[in-house]
Amino acid sequence: MTLEKHGENRFVVPIGPQHPALKEPGHFEFVVDGEIVTGASVRLGYVHRGIEKGAEDRTWTQNLYLMERICGICSHIHATAFVQGVEKLAGVEAPPRARAIREIFAELERIHSHMLWLGVAAHEGGFDALFMYSWRDREVVMDMLEMLSGNRVHYSANLIGGVKYDLTPDMMDKIREGLNYLEERLAHYLDVVNNDETFIGRTRGIGTMTREQAQLLGAVGPTARASNFAYDVRVDAPYAAYAEFPVEMVVAQEGDLHARFVVRILETMESIRVLRRIFENMPESELVTRVPRRIPAGETISRVEAPRGELFYFIASGGGEKPERVKVRTPSLCNWGTVITLAVGHKLADMPMILAGIDPCFSCNDRLVMVKRNRQDPQVWTWADLRNYGIEYYR
Amino acid sequence: MIKGLLTTLREMFQQPVTIQYPEVKRPVRTRFKGRHVLKRYENGLEKCIGCSLCAAACPADAIFVESAENTDEERYSPGERYASTYEINMLRCIFCGFCEDACPTEAIVLGDNYELSFTDRHQSIYTKDMLLEPVPPGGKPTPQNTEPGKYTRSVPVMQDPQD
Ligand code: SF4
Ligand code: SF4
Repeated sequence: MTLEKHGENRFVVPIGPQHPALKEPGHFEFVVDGEIVTGASVRLGYVHRGIEKGAEDRTWTQNLYLMERICGICSHIHATAFVQGVEKLAGVEAPPRARAIREIFAELERIHSHMLWLGVAAHEGGFDALFMYSWRDREVVMDMLEMLSGNRVHYSANLIGGVKYDLTPDMMDKIREGLNYLEERLAHYLDVVNNDETFIGRTRGIGTMTREQAQLLGAVGPTARASNFAYDVRVDAPYAAYAEFPVEMVVAQEGDLHARFVVRILETMESIRVLRRIFENMPESELVTRVPRRIPAGETISRVEAPRGELFYFIASGGGEKPERVKVRTPSLCNWGTVITLAVGHKLADMPMILAGIDPCFSCNDRLVMVKRNRQDPQVWTWADLRNYGIEYYR
Repeated sequence: MIKGLLTTLREMFQQPVTIQYPEVKRPVRTRFKGRHVLKRYENGLEKCIGCSLCAAACPADAIFVESAENTDEERYSPGERYASTYEINMLRCIFCGFCEDACPTEAIVLGDNYELSFTDRHQSIYTKDMLLEPVPPGGKPTPQNTEPGKYTRSVPVMQDPQD
């Protein structure tokens, strides 16, 4: 996704890295002809944090906490992907109850992430009332997560070989109560999304992606499912307890922004349904199994379905206390291609909504920075230079 | 349009969901992980024995511990050693609670305080004095003068932790 050469008499609108329409830094260039966008490009990498490199320096358990901090919204799913990979390498399996609890956290997280997105996307479309309402209702699920784990964002529920927190029947009752309320609200939002005329005017027929395009551009998650591309890791390659408590895949035919709203809201409702099913048949077992401190040498991949789509981990162990390499590929990265393709032919004013439509998460997809290895280049810093700079800066 | 106005009207008579922070504070849950507290035993002795296990466990390298020898005349904690310096850099800390899990004596516990703010980076380093909880009623402040041979065991007998 490099910057293209633009013709002479066309006008380029740069957006970002700092821009009111973007919640995180990313740079976009839209070539416009009057109001209509005729070309788009994206440039990422402003929030690269070197987490993968940092992971090589920490023990397996410490990395668990580090991986969780890749994303502030889908933190649990990152840790789940990581522990599942490590457990696979170590040849152990988490006990059934631990796997069920992982699924509970993952689904609660999906509810909170989709409601957050619903608010943000509505806000980009100028529908701030929906933004306020959905964020108010999101507090309900945030409270549940705080009750379960103590934290609203980084739950730290996973351990290698199991989970840290148990669910008491009392907590399940409280969560059920909250879910009933949420389900009612979600039905209301679905009604709004389907029947509000201004809202439909802004979403129907905008950013339409066909099934072929979705496949070609490598779209994942709800973005792909809204284009009738039925692919969901939870269904196609069940992990955690998804084999015992399956979810139903939600797909839509239209592929436009409206379909993405509908798919995400229906997915949230499906999460509520599966949570109820788990609470009814909560398996009884230990919470953790023993895992050796040193993980046997080997390589593995681990795939999970994050709220935004398929999350992919590659983990290599050299047989020591620390991983040799951890590679993360987040779903947002796969979906950027769709944005710059779909933008063409739409009004500039639709861009924020098309952008928000894939539920982008900038800081979790900024994985790699390419630096030209040219020693004379003042932009190449050695580790010692950086350290000195940091010390001087804060003196 | 009428429907929209009805929603507005209905919401007008509802209780606001926001809280007037800082006048009103929202209580935290039992499992909440806030600012650390260094615990004491009932008699006032510090639980921390300066073993640095928390510092080794910490994924963010936020903890710095330096230990020194206990004597019976100047006793800070049971056993041989105590933490003479204990610092946590709150800017580095990610509040994961792993230090809590690593501690053999349950000396460090993540508390309820979430109001951490500083005006410069040096203030973000919390020292032992700031982290240590006050002496419980009936206890004596450290260092204590204790009878020889009474506090030789540094790690107490534990029960299962509750929340
Ligand atoms: S809570 Fe985590 S980051 Fe903070 S001091 Fe403890 S181990 Fe380190
Ligand atoms: S707080 Fe606990 S782990 Fe840390 S030095 Fe003290 S006794 Fe050791």
